[in-house]
Amino acid sequence: MKEELSHTESLKIINEMISEAKNNYEQSGSFYFLLWGWVVMVANLGHYFLDKFTSFEYPFIFWLLTFPAAILAAWHGSRQKNKSQVKTHFSRLYGEVWVAIGICMVLTLLFMSKINFNHSAIILLLAGAGTYLSGRMLKFRPLIFGAFALWLAGIVCFSLPMTDQYLVGAIGILAGYLIPGYLLKSAEK
Amino acid sequence: MKGFSPLDPLLHSQLRLAVMSLLISLESAEFTFIKEKTGATAGNLSVQIDKLSTAGYIEVIKSFKGKKPLTTCKVTKAGITAFETYVQALKNYIE
Repeated sequence: MKEELSHTESLKIINEMISEAKNNYEQSGSFYFLLWGWVVMVANLGHYFLDKFTSFEYPFIFWLLTFPAAILAAWHGSRQKNKSQVKTHFSRLYGEVWVAIGICMVLTLLFMSKINFNHSAIILLLAGAGTYLSGRMLKFRPLIFGAFALWLAGIVCFSLPMTDQYLVGAIGILAGYLIPGYLLKSAEK
Repeated sequence: MKGFSPLDPLLHSQLRLAVMSLLISLESAEFTFIKEKTGATAGNLSVQIDKLSTAGYIEVIKSFKGKKPLTTCKVTKAGITAFETYVQALKNYIE
């Protein structure tokens, strides 16, 4: 390989390599939107129906689904990490946004009694924030619309009794996670 | 008239500049990825990566992926500064 470089050649190398790096964004965002979309929608609907139409003592039992979902998400994440030869600033930041949102969601659930059991509303607002940032980062408009749907669902939840909040939560997740998630999946192909 | 600062000889080489330009845009990259993108031979790439690592421009992390050894490279703060200085010097020459 020749060692003498002209200035234009240097610039050409820099440009070429930077664009090579740019073409390597990971595309696995839809998996998480679909996984959490289905799990949270089913859990919300299950909780709503058990609470509203039955006298079952533990209507929150459906939320146990989130444990295997978290394991599945972690397994998928580590598999993706092993498969990928490169880590971009973008993918790290994208992941960190959801780590921060996830921590806030868990904390909200831990202190739900302190916020008069308006946790569904707060969680929808947080999900909206994460979805909005993901949409902006991926430059994918359906996610931004999804974020507005989640925020709207959150606002509605604040004025509803706890049981009805689960129904609104399910609708919000359908509009904010599942529909944009499927659109993202088809855009990734 | 602008003074011409000399171009960093460590970066003013085709392959080393390619490696640095690639790493500057990434958080980290595996050896095989850099090899594929630069089109270099494993031997030559290994030598140039060693030079960049000795200069403190990149960090080389050796680990294992399953049973296979894995080399991951990451640009350091010193590397970013050197790269920026190089690009600035280049701009001065071209202007």
